[in-house]
Amino acid sequence: MTDLERLLSEYKQAHRASPDADPAPYLAQLAGAEREALSQLIDAYLARAPRRDFDPAAFPASPAASAAEGLQRSLAGTGGLWPALLPRLRTQARLRRSELVSELAARLGAQSRQEKVARYYHEMEQGLLPAAGVSDAVLDALGRIVGWSSDALRRAGELPAPGGPGAAGSPGAVFTRTATPPRGGGAESRDTAQRGEPAEEEWDEVDRLFRGR
Amino acid sequence: MSDEELVAYMRAAREAGRPEAMKAPLAILVFGYWDSLVARARLRLPPAEAEDVAGEAVASAIASAFDGRSVGELRSWLHTILMRRIADYYEVRKRRVQTTELASEHQGDEDVWRREPAEPFEGDALFASESLALAYRELERDSHRRAIDLYVFGPLSAADAAASLGGGMTEANVHQIASRFQRRFKELLA
Repeated sequence: MTDLERLLSEYKQAHRASPDADPAPYLAQLAGAEREALSQLIDAYLARAPRRDFDPAAFPASPAASAAEGLQRSLAGTGGLWPALLPRLRTQARLRRSELVSELAARLGAQSRQEKVARYYHEMEQGLLPAAGVSDAVLDALGRIVGWSSDALRRAGELPAPGGPGAAGSPGAVFTRTATPPRGGGAESRDTAQRGEPAEEEWDEVDRLFRGR
Repeated sequence: MSDEELVAYMRAAREAGRPEAMKAPLAILVFGYWDSLVARARLRLPPAEAEDVAGEAVASAIASAFDGRSVGELRSWLHTILMRRIADYYEVRKRRVQTTELASEHQGDEDVWRREPAEPFEGDALFASESLALAYRELERDSHRRAIDLYVFGPLSAADAAASLGGGMTEANVHQIASRFQRRFKELLA
């Protein structure tokens, strides 16, 4: 048996015993074309690996848990993939949420309304703020902070809302441009009530930036 | 439940406005493929990037099952999207080099996200991938390809692969086919 065959066999054995087995130590034992060959063979093996059985004991501590949670919020919410994406971008940028919010508010010229910016940003991460209402100015400022373009952030928010087109909660139903603060019993008011925001609070530039694209 | 049944269950739960009912099937799918996706990403990316790229792939692959597109077999789709995200990663870095030299052309590194790269990979990795595919195509018989599927690419031992193949195939035959296949692959790579 060649080194290539032996290492492939050993890696497969390790992967079967523990699916998070790292291929790096096996690759490190070879060089050049042999190493590339092993990499390709392991790759082909992993691409065909069946779904691992669910382990309720191991799941909560697995990195898969936070990925699943973000995705669940994305699918349940109205902000597309933002709940799965924004916390990760913030982590990559090595920023605490408060730091990101402070810089976002500054870039939007809304330092005096930082609390409201924080509330809206929190809703973006949680999938509670419909993506269609968020202005390009917000996405441009946010993108500069986390190192993404506003277009890419916009695309990430484009997952159709639950219930399909035209359903309550879909961007088209909720985010018609409004020149005046939303009042009465409409969808906007329900959103406001869910956020615990005072109904009588004045609609201002920050609201327009986050909800009136 | 199969992957496709889990996705169908999640779609129904989402349409019915019961997002909490999506948690269990999502956990099963993400947990079930996470390690394989991260391990594949580790083959091509710095360790610190592998989980992030795998996370992006899982999110965009599963989400695309909800935006009206047909994704076919979920496992294949997950791995297809993973390869695109890895290609995007290198596209971003290539642009960084170019934009350092030509700052006026800078358009944002991450514009490539959710875009299909023109070529899945370039250079050594693409050549190696094509060599492996060619070595596989050159196998003379279907039974030999099946032996490679089960033993080299699959989880079975040579003895189990031989038993599964039947038709007089022995453990020694499977070893011989695998050795020839890997030797040919290395020749093509050299």
